Amino acid sequence: MIARGTARVHTATVVGTHAVPVTVEVDVGPGLPSFIVVGLGDAAVLESRDRVRAALRASGYTFPSARVVVNLAPAPLRKHGTGFDLPIAAAILAATAQVPGRAVAGHLVGELSLDGRVRAVPGVLAHALVAREASRPLLLAQESTRNASVVNDLEVCGLTDLSQLRVTGLSGASPVEPPEWTGGEPDRTLPDLSEVAGHEVAKRALEIAAAGGHNILFVGPPGSGKTMLASRLGPLLPPLTPAERLEVAVIHDVAGLDPQHALSGRRPYRAPHHSCSLGGLVGGGSPLRPGEISLAHTGVLFLDELPEFGPAALQALRQPMEDGYISLVRADGHIRFPARFALIASANPCPCGYHGDSAHPCECNQTQIRRYRTRIGGPLMDRIDIRLRVDRVDPGIIVSSHRSESSEAVRLRVLAARERAMACGRGPSSGLRGKELLHACRLDDKAREQLTAQARSLHLSGRSVTRLLRVGRTIADLDGSDRVTPEILDEAVSYRGSEV
Amino acid sequence: MTRRHEISIDSTDYPDYLRNISEPPRVLYCMGDPALLVPGLAVIGSRKATPYGLSATRVFAGWAASQGITIISGAAIGCDQEAHRSALAADGPTVAVMGCGADIDYPSGAADLLAEIREVGAVISEVPWGTGPQRWLFPRRNRLIAGLCQAVLVVEASLPSGTFNTADHALDYSKQVLAVPGSIFAPECRGSNRLLVQGATPITDVTELGDALGVNVDTQLHLAAASEHPLLAALLVNPMRPDDAARELALHIVEVSRLLGRYESCGLLSRYPDGRYGPCVSMRQALQSPHGDRSQ
Repeated sequence: MIARGTARVHTATVVGTHAVPVTVEVDVGPGLPSFIVVGLGDAAVLESRDRVRAALRASGYTFPSARVVVNLAPAPLRKHGTGFDLPIAAAILAATAQVPGRAVAGHLVGELSLDGRVRAVPGVLAHALVAREASRPLLLAQESTRNASVVNDLEVCGLTDLSQLRVTGLSGASPVEPPEWTGGEPDRTLPDLSEVAGHEVAKRALEIAAAGGHNILFVGPPGSGKTMLASRLGPLLPPLTPAERLEVAVIHDVAGLDPQHALSGRRPYRAPHHSCSLGGLVGGGSPLRPGEISLAHTGVLFLDELPEFGPAALQALRQPMEDGYISLVRADGHIRFPARFALIASANPCPCGYHGDSAHPCECNQTQIRRYRTRIGGPLMDRIDIRLRVDRVDPGIIVSSHRSESSEAVRLRVLAARERAMACGRGPSSGLRGKELLHACRLDDKAREQLTAQARSLHLSGRSVTRLLRVGRTIADLDGSDRVTPEILDEAVSYRGSEV
Repeated sequence: MTRRHEISIDSTDYPDYLRNISEPPRVLYCMGDPALLVPGLAVIGSRKATPYGLSATRVFAGWAASQGITIISGAAIGCDQEAHRSALAADGPTVAVMGCGADIDYPSGAADLLAEIREVGAVISEVPWGTGPQRWLFPRRNRLIAGLCQAVLVVEASLPSGTFNTADHALDYSKQVLAVPGSIFAPECRGSNRLLVQGATPITDVTELGDALGVNVDTQLHLAAASEHPLLAALLVNPMRPDDAARELALHIVEVSRLLGRYESCGLLSRYPDGRYGPCVSMRQALQSPHGDRSQ
């Protein structure tokens, strides 16, 4: 005869990038045998009934032949995913006294297979943070313990099988030691700048972009090396700080990506194809999942063929580029995903791609070219500080044995420049604006005079001048200069680039 | 409302030298001042003009117009419109020869320009009022441009092109053909360079243009640029990309970027759409003005 009773087990559901605590309450009571789950679970939650029933039997437990009611509290909150399998099963076992109550006293999350094994689910880092908040040990699939154990001050226990609950309970499940940080080591497998022949201006532009967090646009014909250059920006950036690592890892984890990449300190590099939907780019779906811009948070977002992206997608980039996050509003509430990324974009100069090419004639007429160039839109272009024309490199240079500077050497300069900015109490110069920017540039009379002359002769708008000064400030950081000098302004002007 | 004139071939107002071309128009439709239909200088070039072509157009059309020579062109995008604008800017006479009715604004972007030409110059056509632009009319229009002028100056022409076609007509009518030499590597200059090979008169500065047209040039422009920096001298001769320039002159890329930024800012060089840096129109003015002297 199975004992009757109630039990509650703590778990959570992921909303955005956060886990919201949920209590699983089980009542095993008199009545016709049934198994009901209430509390706004989605289809995956409701299906857990069949998995739980099978898993209990397979692990040698008895499924109560009684009226089993499961309530997921708070009831008005929508709950998603298969992570509720383990907490529901544990609550039933505790309610029927098949396992001791203390065995399920932690924060539980995991999916069950029909034979009783415990499977990993996405979002364990978010769960881990909630568990730490509530000072509960985290009980989850053994394979997830590696990710969860990076959260400090948290007891993490791994389960491979549901039957372990009976034998050892929570106290007996193997606690996992947090791993040592090894991040920050340069990765030899990443693309290196020394492999790029020619393109000296573009490499310098990448260095400046990495040091100042500027957005870049490369314009050039097909095969000129835009993608190759873009993929080399990531390794130039400094490693993630421990706080950033966890922040990025949580986002990647809830999106179902492996968080180990971010946990090792490497900045994310995302390159969505231009057929990417609006939801895929900025976040969307039900439940709301982070989009590419959030997956690129603290790292690099590479948009190849920028004008080919849908106009809605391009315009949606504006708010996150300005604010560093995106706010999504849906029927069941609004969610904010962090999205502070360095945008690196490439574009062809015209629809056929060969405008201005020395070897290949362009087949477009002026109207087509003009229309193509207006696709990106002024407001987005305004947020791109560095715009550069890149062209195919002469084969003679590609095959010559001349090796250029390695990414590591450039990265050291980038680090030094960033540290210099930090020492002056500034962030990356791409974030400076208005008075703050003018103050940081510390222009002397001569530089001021030259800037005025340049703005006049090159017909620079107020926004262009702002971009010029931002780039100038970064070059000064790289030069080790505390002022933006006339020579630096001269250089900054040359990255102003063509309007595409 | 601008005056409209219909000048028949029997009229005494009909320009004499137009009677000598093949199939002279029976009636010439003209908006503006018919007295401007005197032998002038046709300045023609590519629609897809490079900054080099536009600069050359500005220098030569502007100068000739300032000498009172009528600038004749076709109002097309690129060099043609630049020629008209330069003439207007120099308060000189200009005539636009249209491939559609003289009262039609084509290309549509040139409406303001055409309105100004109708006001102070003349817009003419051989097709009746209101005729829309049609493909086959433009080659015929080219023969009118060639017929109306004393000399044709080809600024930039690719091969084959309408510009080249106009120059062919001019040769048929025994007009003087002048051409601005271009880079041997630039496809936009292949047509104009071909004309030079075939015997056209090369025009490299306004003195030569004056000689060719029989006008005295009292001012000689001196290019002092070459004494500035080897980079500037090199780019004025042969436009190059920054990477190539740095390699050719064995300079560091940062130094090249800074020099290019400086020369571009003071109008000595300009950035071409293909990423190369080369001579720019305001170069002459820049060299003469105190602002251009920045060789610190």
